[in-house]
Amino acid sequence: MGLTGMQVVLITLLAYVYNLDRYSTQIAGKVTILWGALTGFVLGDFKQGLEIGATLQLMSLGVSNLGGASMPDYGVAAIISTAIASTTGKGMAAGLAIGIPVGMLVMNLDVVVKIFNSYIARRAQTYADRKEFGKMRKIIPVATVIYPLEAALPVFLAVVFGKPVVEAVLNFMPKWFTVGLNVAGGMLPAVGFAMLLLYMPLSKYGYWLIVGFVLTAFLKVPIMGIALLGVAAAVRQYKALTEKNNSIDNSKNSSLEPNASGLTKEDMEDE
Amino acid sequence: MSDTKNIITKHDLLRASLRHYLGVSTFNYDTGIASAIVWELYPALRKIYKNDDELVASLDNHFKYYNCNPWLSPIITGATLAMEEKSGNKVLNAVQNIKTGLMGPLSGIGDSIIWVMMPTILGAIAGSMGKVGNPIGMWIFLGIYVLCFLLRPYMYLLGYRSGTALVSSLGSKLNAFTDAVSILGITVIGAIVASTVTIKVGWKFANSGVTISAQNILDQICPAVLPAIVTYVLYKLLKKKVKMSWLIVGIIIFSMLGAAIGLFKA
Repeated sequence: MGLTGMQVVLITLLAYVYNLDRYSTQIAGKVTILWGALTGFVLGDFKQGLEIGATLQLMSLGVSNLGGASMPDYGVAAIISTAIASTTGKGMAAGLAIGIPVGMLVMNLDVVVKIFNSYIARRAQTYADRKEFGKMRKIIPVATVIYPLEAALPVFLAVVFGKPVVEAVLNFMPKWFTVGLNVAGGMLPAVGFAMLLLYMPLSKYGYWLIVGFVLTAFLKVPIMGIALLGVAAAVRQYKALTEKNNSIDNSKNSSLEPNASGLTKEDMEDE
Repeated sequence: MSDTKNIITKHDLLRASLRHYLGVSTFNYDTGIASAIVWELYPALRKIYKNDDELVASLDNHFKYYNCNPWLSPIITGATLAMEEKSGNKVLNAVQNIKTGLMGPLSGIGDSIIWVMMPTILGAIAGSMGKVGNPIGMWIFLGIYVLCFLLRPYMYLLGYRSGTALVSSLGSKLNAFTDAVSILGITVIGAIVASTVTIKVGWKFANSGVTISAQNILDQICPAVLPAIVTYVLYKLLKKKVKMSWLIVGIIIFSMLGAAIGLFKA
C-alpha cells in the first residue's frame, strides 16, 4: 500500500509542526506517543500509530536533552515508524527499523542547524548595532522557521523513497562525520561559556570557578546546591562591600555637609 | 530615572511572554537563546529607551550568551526588565550578572521537573496504556502540558514584580549588589562547564591482557578535566580577539579529526 500525495504532505507537515512546537511553544515535544497516533490517524490506522508511539515513548523514558545537548529524536522516529509500518504492512518492527536510524539522523542535523543559528544571531546583532531594528526583528524568527526542516526533510525523504534511500544516506555518511558531529555537539557549548566568562570580573572573583567546578565534577552536587552556595558567597561579599561604603560615607558625612556625597555622585554621572 | 511612573504595562509583559515562545528555536553554540531574548524584549525595551544609543547598549547586553529553561526564563527576564525600566543603562552589568547567575539554577529546576520528572511519570502511564491501544494516558499527558503552557505568561508577571521589588530595595547599593552577584554567576559557570560540556576519549591501552581506557584514567585524575581545558583555551583565544566563527569551525574540524583517529567517541 503506497501513500497518496495528500498523505505525504500531511505527514511532512506533521513532522514540521512537531519540531516547531518542540523548539518554540514546547507543548507536545515530549508526548512522543501523540505524534505516532496523529500519523496513524492521517493514514487511517490510529491504533497502530498509538501503539508504535507508545513503544517509542517507553524507549525514551529517562532520556532527555538538557542544556541544548543532542539526543535521538523520538518524535520523528514515531512519525516515520508509523508511516513505514502501515505502508509496508510489515508491522511495528519494520517501522522501528527505519524510524530509529532517521531519528539519529535528525540528531546529527541538529548540530548543523544550531551552527546555522549562530550566523542568524550574529547578523541580528550586526543589524542592532547599525540601529536597523526592523531588519533585526525580521531575521531572528528565520531561525524558528528553518529549524523544523531538520525533521520535515528527513521524514519527507523517508516516506517518499523508503528504506533503500534512508539506508543509502546513512551509509553515505562516513563514521568520522557522524561521530565527529556528535563529539562537536558535546564540545561546542564550551564556546558559549568561554564567551560568557569574557564579561565576568575574573581577575577579582575568578577563583569561584574552581568552587563551582569541583562541586560538580568531583562531588556531583546538583546545580541548585551550587547556586545556593554562590548566593551565600554573594551575600557575604555584598555585606562586606556595603559596610565599607557606609563607613566611607560616614567619614565623608562627618567632614562635609549632609548629602554631599550623594549629590556629587549624581553630578559625576551626568557629565 | 527613579520616577514612580510605570513605563511597562501588563499588556507589554503579556506581549513579551508571547514573544518568548520563539525560545529554543534560536539556540546556537555561541550565544545560546540570546537572540530570542532580544526578540521578546525588543518592544518593551524600545518603550524604555527613547534614545537609540541606549537601546543598542541594552540590546548588545542581551545578545551575550544566555540559555535557560524556557518555562522559567521569564522569571529572570521579567525581573531584569523591571530593573531596566527603573534604572536604565546604569543596571546593565547587574542585569547580565543576574541572568548568568540564575539561568543555571532555574534551568536545573525547570529541566528536572518539566523535561525529566513529568515526561517520565506521564510517559510511563501513556506508554503502557497506549501499548494496549488505550489513548487516555496520552490525552492526560497532553492535557497537563497544555495547562502548563497556558500558565506560562504568569511567570513574566512574577519575575517583573520581584525585579521591581529588588530595585526599590537596593537603591544606592546597586553597585555592591552587581559586584557581589557576579560571584554567583562565576560559580555557576564553573559548575555548568563541568556538567554540560562533554568530551569522551575513546583510546584504550592494552597492557598484558588488561585494557585500560584513557577516559577512566582522566576521570581518576580529575573528572571533566577536558571540558575545563577546552573552555580555558577558548577563553584565551577569545581574549586574543580570535573570531567566534573560526572557533566553531575549528572545533568541528578538531572533533572530526579526533573521531577519525579514534581519539574521541560519541
